[in-house]
Amino acid sequence: MNEDIQKQLVQDFVEESLEGLERFDQELLALENGASTGETLNNIFRIIHTVKGTSGCLGLTKIESLSHVGENLLVKVRDGELEAHQSMITTLLTFSDALQNMMASLSNHGNEGDTDHTGLKAELERLLSAESATEPAKSVQPQEPTIQEKPQEQDEKVSESKVPEDESISTTAAKAPDNPDDTKAQEQCWGLYDDEPEAEDTSSKAQEQRWGIFDESGESDTSKAIESEPQSQPSENSEPPISTIKKETDSEAKTQENKSVAEGSIRVDVNHLDRLMNLVGELVLSRNQIVQRVSNYEDSALQSACQRLNLIATELQEGVMKTRMQPIGNVWQKFPRVVRDVSLELSKKVRLDMVGKETDLDRTLIEAIKDPLTHIVRNAIDHGIETPAERANNGKSEEGILLLRAYHEGGQVNIEIIDDGKGIDPEKIKLKAVEKALISHEEAGRMNDRDAFALVFQPGFSTAPKVTNLSGRGVGMDVVKTNIEKIGGSVDIQSEFGQGTTIKIKIPLTLAIIPALIVTSASERFAIPQVSLLELVRLDGDDVNKAIEFIDGTPVYRLRGNLLPLVYLNKELKIDHENENDLDCVNIVVLKADGRSFGLIVDEINDTEEIVVKPLAKQLKGLQAFAGATIMGDGHVALILDVLGLAQHAHVITEVGSKSAFDNQEDRSNAGDDKHTMLLFEAGDNHRLALPLSLVDRLEEFDKEIIEHSGESEVVQYRGQILPLIRVQNYVNTFSNENSSTANDDTMQVVVYSENGRSVGLIVGNIKDIVEESLEVKHLTSSRGLSGSAVIQDHVTDLLDVRDIIAQADPDFFIEKNESIV
Amino acid sequence: MTVDDASTMRQMVAFTLKSAGHDVLQAQDGRDALNQLTNRQVDLVITDVNMPNMNGIELTRELRKLPHMQRTPILILTTESEQKRKMEGRSAGATGWIVKPFDQQSLLQVVGKVLP
Repeated sequence: MNEDIQKQLVQDFVEESLEGLERFDQELLALENGASTGETLNNIFRIIHTVKGTSGCLGLTKIESLSHVGENLLVKVRDGELEAHQSMITTLLTFSDALQNMMASLSNHGNEGDTDHTGLKAELERLLSAESATEPAKSVQPQEPTIQEKPQEQDEKVSESKVPEDESISTTAAKAPDNPDDTKAQEQCWGLYDDEPEAEDTSSKAQEQRWGIFDESGESDTSKAIESEPQSQPSENSEPPISTIKKETDSEAKTQENKSVAEGSIRVDVNHLDRLMNLVGELVLSRNQIVQRVSNYEDSALQSACQRLNLIATELQEGVMKTRMQPIGNVWQKFPRVVRDVSLELSKKVRLDMVGKETDLDRTLIEAIKDPLTHIVRNAIDHGIETPAERANNGKSEEGILLLRAYHEGGQVNIEIIDDGKGIDPEKIKLKAVEKALISHEEAGRMNDRDAFALVFQPGFSTAPKVTNLSGRGVGMDVVKTNIEKIGGSVDIQSEFGQGTTIKIKIPLTLAIIPALIVTSASERFAIPQVSLLELVRLDGDDVNKAIEFIDGTPVYRLRGNLLPLVYLNKELKIDHENENDLDCVNIVVLKADGRSFGLIVDEINDTEEIVVKPLAKQLKGLQAFAGATIMGDGHVALILDVLGLAQHAHVITEVGSKSAFDNQEDRSNAGDDKHTMLLFEAGDNHRLALPLSLVDRLEEFDKEIIEHSGESEVVQYRGQILPLIRVQNYVNTFSNENSSTANDDTMQVVVYSENGRSVGLIVGNIKDIVEESLEVKHLTSSRGLSGSAVIQDHVTDLLDVRDIIAQADPDFFIEKNESIV
Repeated sequence: MTVDDASTMRQMVAFTLKSAGHDVLQAQDGRDALNQLTNRQVDLVITDVNMPNMNGIELTRELRKLPHMQRTPILILTTESEQKRKMEGRSAGATGWIVKPFDQQSLLQVVGKVLP
């Protein structure tokens, strides 16, 4: 056989078999859990049967001989002659592993590897013989239609056990001599039934023959068959993807249901997809360039063509991204096995539940989260879930529950690993951390539970009292965290001592195209991934010189009462800066890295843009501060900053205890403290209002001129969409509406609120400040649009009930959301 | 037509037959094959035995019920451990059998025998 074809076939075989073996593992586990159906046993058998048959044809003798032994055992299991007990399932799983390893070796090294499987084979044979002594006289095959059965068990048995394992099977070697008619018996592997004597003889003869024709009493039969055959040659040359027509009969419905995904799909080489994605990336870049250029022309036909190009490119990009999406269930598939093995080893009882298997994410991410997830799952069973006895003592059911949950949220994928085990004792964690000198006693005292839990992500932390086979080997949660952060994700841990632990992972949908903020420093442009971005601060006038202080030579800025370490991008990257001293403003980009925040000072903040991430060349890979490069709309290259790398390079995030502004603030609000970050503004004269900053999507300033009218409402065009506007003062009881400060200016300030992809703009008058305050809320019952009032900065301030106001202005805003969920 | 739930096996048969100048249709199980052949004629069917949905023996039996498939040669692919299947194949109306694993020459030999 042509060598390329052979190679291709082997590759196909490996892929097909690996898929099959994964199913094999799942079916085995279903069998063990008593969740087997009539088809389960047959499926298990068939998978190995197929592997064996195909490997034989491809000349893969090791795989063939091993799968042959397994098949023999499985025949007995399928036919009900042997019962699949736990130790047999364990052996069969090991058997599956061995096959998978050989497949992997085949795929990576082009051979089956040199692992010796005699022990495994012996074990399989032992299982086979252990009970075949009690083999019933007649074998029944439950799944197959019963055809009149001649007593042939004898022959069957002989043939089954006799197949020599070293039989040389080679696809290239011509086994049958040139003249087939001479040598029918020993060497042939086919036959026509008519060559053979009737009934009993056939079977004994068949053992030696490798083929037969049922009907070859002479030339006449075959020719007869041909004569009567209509002439139609199949004219179409159908390609591998098989068209399937479903017949909707009841009996079929079940078996076809679980195949439905496979049937409507085709296999595509991953490299094709990568190439396609790359091309789409290029297309998006050229699109950006064209859009930028075209905006200089007044040609309306050109403009509209450009608009179309814009839209189509966006849709194409989304479409191609979708083809690269895979359900997270692909990774989860192996977890039932992991859970089984780990819980068996630790004598724990664990039930694994999975919710949201179909949640899609990019295949590169699927690969990247595989190991971290496995580690967390193992950890959860090892450290989280207690032994059945402990659980019973604590009044829990003996069986622990491990829940994997995945769902999309705001352009990200959330994955949660929830166990109902013993939870984490924050004191124990702190003690351990102090012991390992990760934190000081003093820090431990001050630390809240949430921060304590976060300690498990510190390098060199492991609470397992003894190192088990499974976890506590030092490659711990810090590696998990690093790996997840590497793909732009985050890990968070929550735990209720005695009740269980939840680990929450957030990862982006894709890495190839990301939203980024473009900044300029020393006339060079840089892209900052938006996931790292917290806020932008601009210092004007006097503040330029006053607001930035120095502590131990480190520049810091007081942001809402917290110190924010500052990094000058131009100094950090050692790029020249001509006009260092005559700055009339300072732009601080507040970024978060590794749970801490810092300010990056840049010359100019340009815009946000969707950028296509291009990896850096090998020679530049080592640079800590850069994550990649992208091509801008004008054709120039901009480097993408690696925020974490940059922060480490600048030494702003190396210390453990010195978490800065945002984490503390976040911690506090999450921990239920009553400190809130509020946006302060005025509507009408001196009517002080506040709303929680967490509800604010963006703050915008619009020219009054751009307000348009749609029906009765005011709207503006905003980011390619129509943004309805709501005048807050019309919805709250404001004392003096007349001379409201907004009426006099040419611009208005708008708070953009978004929910479920819908946005609305609240016209708020003058924005005063953003404050972080402990609020003592006095509830007022009579005021519409307000949720109460509090004293903020020594003034009575009404708290705006944003949702109520929106609901008043647009009753459909929230309702529609409910409908879309139902 | 080659019928097998294992696509590699299918490709292998298809490749061998194509190399001998035949056009080859593929089906992934008995039901698929039956659906494709209900309104279509082929010169030869090579089918695996153990398949989901409809096995090769059932397929053979069903195909023989179709008027235009009465005389079409049907070869069943079996393994050594399925000797019994050979008998079932005969009673279902198959023309001949091939033992897996097979090599290309053997396949072409038997195909040559049953085709004109």
